[in-house]
Amino acid sequence: MILAVRALAWREFLRFFRQPHRVVGSLAQPLLMWVLLGSGFGASFRAPGLEGVSYAEYFYPGVLLMLALFSGIFATITIIEDRNQGLLQEVLVAPVPRLAIVLGKVIGATGVTLAQCLVLVAASPFLGLWPGWGGAALLLLGLVIATLGFTALGVVIAWNMESTAGFHAVMSVFLLPMWMLSGALFPLDQAPAWLWWTMILNPATHALAIIRIPLAAHAGSWVQTPYLWAMTAAVVWALLCLLVAALQVNRVPKGR
Amino acid sequence: MVVVQGVTHRYPGRRKVPPRTAVASLDLHVPEGGFVVLTGPNGGGKSTLFRILSGLQRPSEGRVRVAGVDLFQEPAQARRAMGVVFQKPALDPHLTVRENWIVHGELYGMGRRLIRERLDESLSWSDLGGRLDDRVGTLSGGLARQAELVKAMLHHPRLLLMDEPTTGLDPGSREAFLTTLVSLRRDRGVTLFMTSHLFSEAEAASAVAILHQGRLLALETPDRLRSALGETMLVIHTDDRPGLAASLREEGAGVTVTERGGAFLVSGVPEPAVLMEKLWARHGKSIRDLAIKRPSLEDCFIHLTRSSTFEESDPENPS
Repeated sequence: MILAVRALAWREFLRFFRQPHRVVGSLAQPLLMWVLLGSGFGASFRAPGLEGVSYAEYFYPGVLLMLALFSGIFATITIIEDRNQGLLQEVLVAPVPRLAIVLGKVIGATGVTLAQCLVLVAASPFLGLWPGWGGAALLLLGLVIATLGFTALGVVIAWNMESTAGFHAVMSVFLLPMWMLSGALFPLDQAPAWLWWTMILNPATHALAIIRIPLAAHAGSWVQTPYLWAMTAAVVWALLCLLVAALQVNRVPKGR
Repeated sequence: MVVVQGVTHRYPGRRKVPPRTAVASLDLHVPEGGFVVLTGPNGGGKSTLFRILSGLQRPSEGRVRVAGVDLFQEPAQARRAMGVVFQKPALDPHLTVRENWIVHGELYGMGRRLIRERLDESLSWSDLGGRLDDRVGTLSGGLARQAELVKAMLHHPRLLLMDEPTTGLDPGSREAFLTTLVSLRRDRGVTLFMTSHLFSEAEAASAVAILHQGRLLALETPDRLRSALGETMLVIHTDDRPGLAASLREEGAGVTVTERGGAFLVSGVPEPAVLMEKLWARHGKSIRDLAIKRPSLEDCFIHLTRSSTFEESDPENPS
């Protein structure tokens, strides 16, 4: 089981770093967003209780979330490619527990995503956002849990998809709003009530919280969601996605 | 090695698409050390049967036993006994040959040292010696297939399942691939089960299974399959098809006539030379060529699948 998970995760890692355009693409998108939106909204950003926080600073955890969400979910698109080649079948006919197939994919994709997040985190001291070692450790934990959850969600989505084109549709109607309504772009508490509920039910909100809180530990005043609550919600939701993914992979199609 | 008992597979229908039976109460036995080639027209159920045998699909009814265990009750044990080569490439093009093999070996629970030993061993029967650290994407079609075969053999399976493994190979590479298969069977007693639509590939088989409309039309050795069509058959090209067809009908029972590619194929003729002379005397002017030959596996295949099609679609006109 462990051997199989390791082998699949290792393959995921190798194939990602052997395709330089994937590395560049998934790192450049959040960075561009951060630079463009950060400087664009900078002047008009005046949230109550957030005086003294620049928009670029407010938006930084949102960029990390974007990286975790998009890179994590995109890493699972490879399931669709694997199916179109014989790679997925080859794994399915191997004598490995189906959970190992999910875990191999999810852990590999999480590793790939974390490697990219670390590039951004390593840049934080130069941006004046270094949270200290304790904060950095919590931040890393938050990123790991968020990415595990998102990649498991990616497996759930990709498993039943026939083409990558369908994946892009899901991305624009589901993932992008999920990211925007997480509080990454604007604070939650000013939204109308219905939107507030959507944001609370949105897993990305909690993922953002466990990324943002460690970063802002020194300026805790604008933290709304208690950290432990967010952490519990994120963990429960990640486990749920893993469970659904494992159940899905476990199903052998049967004739009627 | 493989026992298929009463397997039926129906695909569930969707809106406006009625359910479809792909395989109907099929029984099939592949003996240990045998080499069975599964063939049949497109849409005949080959792929469905292959997916069932490789454990990717559960049949609606029936049982499949592989290496003595039920494939769907004890999948892990059955899977360990088999190696599978798919029609589509199952090697990651971004990884090197060696890396692909390592991933495969670890999926089958092999440690790195054992994998290394097996790799050295496989290099003795494949041509991949100098290419181990090249990415699979840079290999030629023939070498990539070989790498696929080595991979499937890495955990020493007792049964090798292959789905049209030679698709896209040039004749030379195909020949080499088949030679390797034959020697794997001879030297290690590996049981081979392969789907193919190329009859030249079935010549080396211990049995040919013909699947048509979900049913097994034949499971015979290539020789016995051929002898069903008699020792010889006539191949006639003519400009006057109705005239020739009328004369052939007079020959009566036992003589089978099929039309293929503009030619009449006549089998089951007791005295072919006599019939040849008779036809030449009567239709000599319109006949373009008239030849006598031994039936090939392809002839048997067409004979079997055509006649069964006619039986089902047009009982008035058995051809």
